[in-house]
Amino acid sequence: MFRQSLRFCTGFSFSKAKALLQHDARWLATESANIKWDLMSAVCLERHPIISKPLNELEAKYQAMLNQIEYENSMKSDHEIRIELEKQLLQSQNQQNTEIDLDVVIKQTAQDFVDASEEEVKNFKFAPKITEADEKNVKTSLKRKLDKNLVLLVEQNVGNKTYWIPPQGLRSDGETLRQTAERVLSNICGQGLTVQFYGNAPIGVYKYRYPKDIRDQGLYGAKIFYFLAKYINGNVEETVKYQWLDKEELQAILPQGIHKSMSQFLIAD
Amino acid sequence: MSCSGILTAFSRLTIYNRSNPIRNISTNTIPVFFRITDSLLAEPLKKKKKLDPAIVKQREERKKRKLEKLIKRLEKHAKQLKPVDEMEIPLKLIDERKIRLRQISPLSPEVIDERVLLQKEWAKYKLNQNLANIQKLDYIMYSQQRALDELKAVSEDLYNEAIQLDIRMLPHTTTGPVRTPPIENYDSPDGDYTDITRKFEGET
Repeated sequence: MFRQSLRFCTGFSFSKAKALLQHDARWLATESANIKWDLMSAVCLERHPIISKPLNELEAKYQAMLNQIEYENSMKSDHEIRIELEKQLLQSQNQQNTEIDLDVVIKQTAQDFVDASEEEVKNFKFAPKITEADEKNVKTSLKRKLDKNLVLLVEQNVGNKTYWIPPQGLRSDGETLRQTAERVLSNICGQGLTVQFYGNAPIGVYKYRYPKDIRDQGLYGAKIFYFLAKYINGNVEETVKYQWLDKEELQAILPQGIHKSMSQFLIAD
Repeated sequence: MSCSGILTAFSRLTIYNRSNPIRNISTNTIPVFFRITDSLLAEPLKKKKKLDPAIVKQREERKKRKLEKLIKRLEKHAKQLKPVDEMEIPLKLIDERKIRLRQISPLSPEVIDERVLLQKEWAKYKLNQNLANIQKLDYIMYSQQRALDELKAVSEDLYNEAIQLDIRMLPHTTTGPVRTPPIENYDSPDGDYTDITRKFEGET
């Protein structure tokens, strides 16, 4: 049953995708040759999560069960046996009320060892999972929402409006789209960023028509090709207006059409 | 000693020496009027000692026997496989089984039921998670294919550039998310490294 439902689902989504593609292909075929498009590259720069997400209720419950089963099936460790032996020794000593043997007292007992270890753990301070940037809600900081995927948005002028969008720019002659994407990123965000692009092929596209007065001059619209890249290190230049946002914040701030095409390839966390 | 004897004795000190021609030794003259003996730096060869052929034979045999012995030893150990510690129950646990087994009362039927139900719920949860992953992959593939189709419609050349392999990606390393974030400016305490790998006989 399990396998069947799996196959059913993938088959369904594949066929759906195929149908959509065929629809697109038909539309592209009707696109006449004299329509001219501006080609643009945009970079979706992602900072991948640094820490793992906290377990949800079911995961925590299941983990507890696995631990319990593991405990039940296990044998006692050397340490546990030592604790038991010492307990027995103490009891027998109390019963006999004999003088305490000095050698035994000086020795570190198993309980002492446990206490010392616990003390050491208590004194060790882990870095907080909720950082200063989270508390102050500094959206330019990379040290926010450590367990989530963040995407870089930059304030840019398009036409005569400003939008918060991923860094994008027009392709110049003789460039491949990948080269355009790399150039655009370093032009807008400075040389300080080290990133890794995921391949030469764009991962998504968004196209739109220009207003009528520009269309009359022969340019029909623009196609923005999105490239996925991974943040490695470095910082965006301070003069640029930028934000690192997670999925919900992206939805709130991105223009609707762009968000629709970007959500297709951005992985939800 | 006569007077003429003294004179001849000191005649080398005089600047002008009319009677004897000057004896010059110089390498600046051509041809050079003297010759140096070549240094050979060698001694005459020693005569080879003649060995008794019986002794030679004995020595060779000894060498051969030694090698054979080594080979035999290696072969003996070749049959003996290295133990896989993880697959063997330590003798200590077998001996102390009675002490080490936990005294746990049998589980109540409620607990067993609860565990079964939780496992079923978990299976469904993982199934849905897996399906969501596959669906997401489909969406990404669809999105990329659409982008490539749009590109092909505009320019075939750019499309061909876009579908090239990106060789720069290939030795790809990534470090996954960890449990807690790294501590800034943390200097980790030094530790010792002791190699406790066991060496087995006949192991090279």
